[in-house]
Order: sequence, then C-alpha cells, then structure tokens
Amino acid sequence: MSSFDTLHILNKSPGHPRAAQCLALLSEGDALLLIENGVLWLSAEGLPSVCRVFALSADVAARGLGNTAGNETRVAFSDMVALSLQARKVISW
Amino acid sequence: MSTLIMIDQPSYGSWSGREALDMAFSLAAFDQPAALLFTGAGVTWLRREQDTADLGQKSVEKNLSAAPVFGIEAIFADRAACQRYGLDERSLIAGVTLVDAISALLNQYDHTAFAG
Repeated sequence: MSSFDTLHILNKSPGHPRAAQCLALLSEGDALLLIENGVLWLSAEGLPSVCRVFALSADVAARGLGNTAGNETRVAFSDMVALSLQARKVISW
Repeated sequence: MSTLIMIDQPSYGSWSGREALDMAFSLAAFDQPAALLFTGAGVTWLRREQDTADLGQKSVEKNLSAAPVFGIEAIFADRAACQRYGLDERSLIAGVTLVDAISALLNQYDHTAFAG
C-alpha cells in the first residue's frame, strides 16, 4: 500500500540545475523530501505547493532554519526509511 | 527492484560520473536490474574515439564498453541533450538508445539515482 507515487529526495540547493529538474517533475500524489543543502529551499522562493513536502530536521536546524514557518513536515532520520517505504518509487536527485 | 542510474555530469573534470558508473556496475554484478541514462552534459560520455593517453586516465568510452559484460540492461541518452552537444548516430558509441520523454522513462524504474 503506497501513500505516495514518487518520493523525490532532493539534496541540491536553489540554483543547482538538478534541483530545477526535480521541482519541474513534481506532481500531485508525489512527496518531496528535502535533505542536506536541499533544505535551503525552505528559505528561498520557488518551492511549488503541488505535493507534500518533508524536510530533515537535523539539516534544517544545522542551517539555522529551525524557526522558519512553512508548510513542510519536519522529519527525523528514522522517518526517512518509513517515507521511502510508503512510496511506489524513489528518485534520489 | 529496477534501478536507473542517471549521469548529468561531463565525462572528465570530476569523479562523480565514474562513481555513478560504479554504482550501476555493482548493482548489475549482484543481479539487480540496472540501466544508465545520460542527460545534460552527461551525454558527452557517449562520444566515439576518446583519446585519454595524455590524460593518464582510462577513457569512459572504454569503461562503458564493459556495460554489457556486467549486465547493464540499457544505455539511454536524452536526444535533445545529444543535439545540444553535437552528437548524432555517427559520433555516438554503439548500443545507445535515444529517448525523448525522460519522465516516462523514470516511471518504469523503482529507483532512480544520481551520483555527485
């Protein structure tokens, strides 16, 4: 039983061409998980609201973004495993 | 589980593309279905007659020629990127399948990964 169609794991910051490619492919029913420098999208413009967004809390906190309020769901490392199991397929950008 | 390894980095200048190739070959060596897709500047891997003698490296053309031996199921390349980098049927290495719709191709694989 899959809750998401594709889980997109994005570790590229805004400005990286692969990040633009990832965001262009997002569709309803997908999920976006921001990790590493991908969490910098939380402080930038241009994050589409087409699907659910998750962000790895350790990476968010490390970059001083812990207090930014957004629509994303913060997750721990252990939740990453659960998220990937809920997806029909996974793309690691 | 089938895996598509994508390479969007040029063939020389960094090691990330070769790391991607190692990922693909490792999967195939352990009987995990794997294929390669070259996009963007990554298509420059696929040009014939690379001569790396003065670079002191093995050419990625030679590395790639081992793909069928390892059991890599397919080598795909983005047609538009090939055109951008001046690659046509005559200048491409053998065994490359050109694709137009990358999102449709991604849909066929359980897992897609880049390196670097």
